[in-house]
Amino acid sequence: MRAALLLAGLATLGAGAAADLALGADRRWARTLAYLAGLAGSACLCAVGALSDLGHPLTVDLGGLFGVGTASVRLDGLAGLFLTLTSALGVAISACLMSWSGPPERLDGRHLDGRHLRGHGTAAAYLLMLGSVAVVLVAGDAFLFLFGWEALTVSFYLLTGITRARPAQASASWATLGMGKLSGAALLLAFLALAGRSGSLTISHWNLVSSGTLHAAAYALAVVGFGAKVGMVPFHVWMPVGYPAAPGPIRAAMAGLAANVGFYGLWRFLGVLGRPPLWLAVAVLLLGGVTALLGITFAAVQGSLSRLIAYSSIENAGIILVGYGVALAGEAVGRPELVAVGLLAATLQAVAHAVAKAALFVATGTLEADRGSIEIDDLGGSGRSHPWTGSALAAGALTLAGLPPTLGFVSEWFILEALMQQFRVQELGLRLAMAGAGALVALTAGVAALTFVRLVGFVVLGRPDPARSGPADGEAGALGRAGLVSLGASCFALAAASPWVIRFMAVGLAPIVPTAVTDGALKAPWVLQPVFADFSALSPTWLLVAMPGLLLATAVAAIALSRGRWLRTRRVPAWRSASGGVRGPASYTAFGYANPVRTVLANVLGTRREIEGGQAGHPTGAPRHAQVEYRTILVEPVEAYLYRPARRALLGVVEWSKRLQSGRLAAYIAYMLAALVAVLVVTVATR
Amino acid sequence: MTAISPTLRLEPAALVGAVVERVEAPGRFAGLFATARPSGSTELLAVVATDGRLDVLQAHLAPGVSAYPALTPRVPGAYWYEREIHDLFGLVPEGHPRLDPLVLPLAHDAPRPRPGAGQPGPGLMSPDESPLPGLVSGEGLFTIPYGPVRSGVFESVEYLVETPGEDIANLRVRVHHKHRGIEGRFEGRSTADGVLVAERVEGVASVAHAIAYCQAVEGLAGVVVPAPAQLVRVVHAELERVANHLESVIRHTEASGQAVAYARLTLHKERVLRLHGFLCGHRFGRGVVVPGGVANGARLEPDEIGSALDKLARDVDDDLRLLMATPSFLDRLRGTGRLSGDVAASRGALGPVGRGSGLGEDVRRSRPYGAYSLLGFEPAEARSGGDALARQNVRLDEIRTSLELARRAVAELGGQERGPWRVPVVPPDGLGVGWAEAPQGEVLYLVESTGRRLARVKPRSASFHNLALLASALRGDVFTDFAFVEASFGVSIAGVAG
Amino acid sequence: MPWVTRGLREGIVTTRYPARPDGYGEGWMGTVGVVGEPEAGSPGELEQLCPTGAISARGGQVRLDRGRCILCRRCVDARPDLFCFDSSVEVASMRRSGLVVPPVDQTDAGLALARADLARRVRCLRRSVHVRHVDAGSDGSDEWEVAALTNPVYDVHRLGIFISASPRHADVLLVTGAGTAGMLGPLRRTLEAMPDPKVVVAAGTDAASGGILAGSYASHGGIGDLVPVDVWVPGSPPSPFSLLHGLLLAVGLISEAEG
Repeated sequence: MRAALLLAGLATLGAGAAADLALGADRRWARTLAYLAGLAGSACLCAVGALSDLGHPLTVDLGGLFGVGTASVRLDGLAGLFLTLTSALGVAISACLMSWSGPPERLDGRHLDGRHLRGHGTAAAYLLMLGSVAVVLVAGDAFLFLFGWEALTVSFYLLTGITRARPAQASASWATLGMGKLSGAALLLAFLALAGRSGSLTISHWNLVSSGTLHAAAYALAVVGFGAKVGMVPFHVWMPVGYPAAPGPIRAAMAGLAANVGFYGLWRFLGVLGRPPLWLAVAVLLLGGVTALLGITFAAVQGSLSRLIAYSSIENAGIILVGYGVALAGEAVGRPELVAVGLLAATLQAVAHAVAKAALFVATGTLEADRGSIEIDDLGGSGRSHPWTGSALAAGALTLAGLPPTLGFVSEWFILEALMQQFRVQELGLRLAMAGAGALVALTAGVAALTFVRLVGFVVLGRPDPARSGPADGEAGALGRAGLVSLGASCFALAAASPWVIRFMAVGLAPIVPTAVTDGALKAPWVLQPVFADFSALSPTWLLVAMPGLLLATAVAAIALSRGRWLRTRRVPAWRSASGGVRGPASYTAFGYANPVRTVLANVLGTRREIEGGQAGHPTGAPRHAQVEYRTILVEPVEAYLYRPARRALLGVVEWSKRLQSGRLAAYIAYMLAALVAVLVVTVATR
Repeated sequence: MTAISPTLRLEPAALVGAVVERVEAPGRFAGLFATARPSGSTELLAVVATDGRLDVLQAHLAPGVSAYPALTPRVPGAYWYEREIHDLFGLVPEGHPRLDPLVLPLAHDAPRPRPGAGQPGPGLMSPDESPLPGLVSGEGLFTIPYGPVRSGVFESVEYLVETPGEDIANLRVRVHHKHRGIEGRFEGRSTADGVLVAERVEGVASVAHAIAYCQAVEGLAGVVVPAPAQLVRVVHAELERVANHLESVIRHTEASGQAVAYARLTLHKERVLRLHGFLCGHRFGRGVVVPGGVANGARLEPDEIGSALDKLARDVDDDLRLLMATPSFLDRLRGTGRLSGDVAASRGALGPVGRGSGLGEDVRRSRPYGAYSLLGFEPAEARSGGDALARQNVRLDEIRTSLELARRAVAELGGQERGPWRVPVVPPDGLGVGWAEAPQGEVLYLVESTGRRLARVKPRSASFHNLALLASALRGDVFTDFAFVEASFGVSIAGVAG
Repeated sequence: MPWVTRGLREGIVTTRYPARPDGYGEGWMGTVGVVGEPEAGSPGELEQLCPTGAISARGGQVRLDRGRCILCRRCVDARPDLFCFDSSVEVASMRRSGLVVPPVDQTDAGLALARADLARRVRCLRRSVHVRHVDAGSDGSDEWEVAALTNPVYDVHRLGIFISASPRHADVLLVTGAGTAGMLGPLRRTLEAMPDPKVVVAAGTDAASGGILAGSYASHGGIGDLVPVDVWVPGSPPSPFSLLHGLLLAVGLISEAEG
């Protein structure tokens, strides 16, 4: 039954893609049809996922389907857990996309992005992405896994390259493709090493590989390969350019949905490869902390909404990697509770991030299509003109800021609790790494609050610019609203239902850590604890009841105690120091609000300020009514100190190697001869 | 008053060259003023201070001439002076980099007050409130209007802070809200009544303004003020300096949240004002200085004053010593509001602002007047830091020297407590120039008398000259530094707006 | 000695006013009073004594308008038989005419009416009064005297009076200065930004009449024509005790002496 459903789901996706390519983007019903196929296919896959999570593992042997060894599909709890998450999101996002691609009257010049969204092949690439995600999750052998992985890379490349309107679009899609290839190459190396040692292409057989240099190298390569997909430093550079390059709500699918295969891969290989070398746990913990801080610092100062959300993906990848690092540490020192709390925290964070990120990017897509801009300063007051979109945006932002009573608060609480278990570890290096990661995550949480307060404050609650805020009739369409509401409400509903969510996850994580250990996170039916008993406790469900209750009680008490005077507030107009007014913008801009971060974290951001055209306050410098240009420049440290020198060096080598192409026949024959000799030498030497 | 060279008359076109020549001599540009004549013509008067004397350069603009070559491109210190002249007289300095309105924004073709013209004013002139264009542009730049009504008890002034958030990219100052047209209130009064107006040009430096005004009148009349009167003037001027410098430190302590220090220093300041009141009947020393001397001797016995001054000096010194050992206070001042020595020198910064940026000039010493040379006055040592801390250190030194000077003057006065207090002053027609070192820096008075009446008086407060430098000092600072930089400049807006 | 113990050494320096009278006024010349009747003859000569026209000598009675007096002391020096220094600091009044000594209006109907109106408005303020200060063209010394109210000697916080940063939280508007043309807009905007009920105190001779500035091209003759004033405080500048008296009158903590 599961196999049939899986096949049906994938077939639906394939049929949708075929229909899109065949019928093109000219017919309105055909566009909608392709995304409808996405919705239906995702629903099938979601059912497969839920059944696999709760049911027994199932392996389907595909035989020599692809001509290389035996291919197989394996549906166990872990695959089921991630398949449930990604396909549920796939349903919601596809619903939004159906609305999007819909009404032709929105196809005027104002909706620049919408036109590309409905362009030829967009839906096909989107469906390819959904399908390849499912293939990666259910792959039982290396070949199928890599096939899905490369297909995913191709779909990312297509989606980031569809819009050609923006400058630097080409470099964005090239960066996405390049980092995807790097990730694929690292995985290929790891798989070859493991397959060579174990003599099998079936992933589950690799648990036979014993500890040693090869095991450690393969482990590290797997972390690099999957880390590049989720945005681990220093492989994160494609994200802030790649995600914004994709059209509208497709970004939600890339960042919220597809990125989870990276986490799935990390989890899967933890289960398969078992005990990691200690240094890898230390490295992952520290890299995760650095990734989180770097991501959120850059997110805090972005002027573009999509870049802000993209950088926040990097931040969340860092936090999730820290949780994963705790699990690695637990595996390395043989403490299953530590593995359980680390994985549980990381998985919860991954779920929170996926849902919130999807909500943010779908909402961003709506606003972009209606307002024609993605800059925060242009989107002021969207909460009033677009109440549905604004609410989803606010829900997602609160979740990613880790504020109660959202799921983000629960997951970040879990992450910090997991890191606090460092005293249970004997190894000093590991303890220091956990403490250091804890400090970085705490700092990250602080900056994250600032970042998302800025987002909510300016975009959702801000004062609308009367020139820009156009009417929002038929905002997002009925299906789009349903998608937005389901994504936004999930941020709260999943927190309320967190005991059930944890039980569901515990079953899914069974291939790595026994369900009985993971279930230790439930102290009481509605109370959570970090697996270890008597450490601390939290009840997100009660929080959802208590927080509004307290607010209400306070308001009632205030009104009662003041005998109603509290409601009769004396109101006067806003006060601005009695000034006669100023010319130009006269209140805090989104840029200005983030400026203290630029100053305080100047070491991370490489902040530099330049003044051009005269000296402020000094009369001889500035000609009459001239403008002095004030510029703030930020430097991405990884980009500036790693990739730019590397690129320079590479280009130098390429330049040098051009000399080999002399054009003379004799030289080419000499090269061939040299190569032949080299091959012979190697062959003889290794025999 | 031997330190004024005879007025040099020039063509308007030659004015720039003559000023530049004297500033490079080296000298210090001290101000550019204008006076309207009943005939419709206008006189431009540039004052340059060189080596112990003042050079006054005068250029005549015939009726109907409404432009002259601007000084500012070559003499940056003239920046605000030319804006003020444009506002009050409608003259256009050709080549001025930024002729934004300053003290009185009026429509382009509106009639101007033209002080000195002697006609009854054109009725109430309402300034044009329309906003000024900004100077700085860039990503995220916006303008915060701070004032004219600000939090706290301050004089009205509007600071327009151009900022990308937190950092101060540029500061523009609008002082016109407080423009009272007080220069015009001198005209037609007797020289004896003029001092009442002079005392109110800058109310917190009443004594210094009265002295500068009276010395201009006395210089014109050629009278010598009796020695006892000179000593009484010193006592009041120095008490006024102590109160002003304490006020600057008080505002630093307030901005840095030093509650006890704030309470202690405000108590000391209240005692200084009370001593002032007991001495002469007025808490700000008004009514003491009159042309030709002082109105009366001190109302207290020299011993009483002496012991009051001693106690004050002890208490103040004790608290200031502790304040300067409080790291949380000093951290806010160190490096804040740095005014480089080059800018200070090229713009001719005055008083403690100049002395905090390495300029040693103190007119009590460079162009001595009254009893200062008799009392053996040595000016406070200049500091080179240029930051708020350097300016405060200058003020702390001056509080001590001022109390000591007052003590010495009282001791001298002990033998001469019967007067004489004043001599009659009958000024001839002509121009007199007077100066004094106010707490804010050098005060200049240009007094023109015709038929024993004041035809035109131009007071130039150090506040006007120094406030133009505030924007330069704020470069690279953030919002929270603003209160410290403003307090360390210690300007009175009344003296700026006129 | 650390900061915390410094105050202890000094003892209590705070005045007990208004609970008990304060002796400070006796030490210096707070205001000018009229002591005698002029002999027959030259009212014009008496009026010439005053540079701001505060003296009127019509109808055989010499009157001095403290709202115009800038305390230059010329009248006292020239005619000690008619004018004297008065050590009183309780000089504020609810009516502009109340600043004239000796009083012109012998009927108290106007005063009673003003008092009843003010009492009705300030009833809800109880013992927490926030004061917003606006400088409408002072010479700078008035601000020092207003700020002095918070020093340890006067310490208005003990009376529940606070200087407020924003007019939105203020009950009393304390205006200094003659009312320059440039401050007309900001002054009105500040008053508008205050919630009802609001009380306006005109502090100083400049605010009452313009003082020596009266007749300037850039200034009104006092703020009485610009905003509705409830309490007038004379003085150039008004001493902290006079300001305190004016504020206490404004919020009904003491009442104006009749007659």
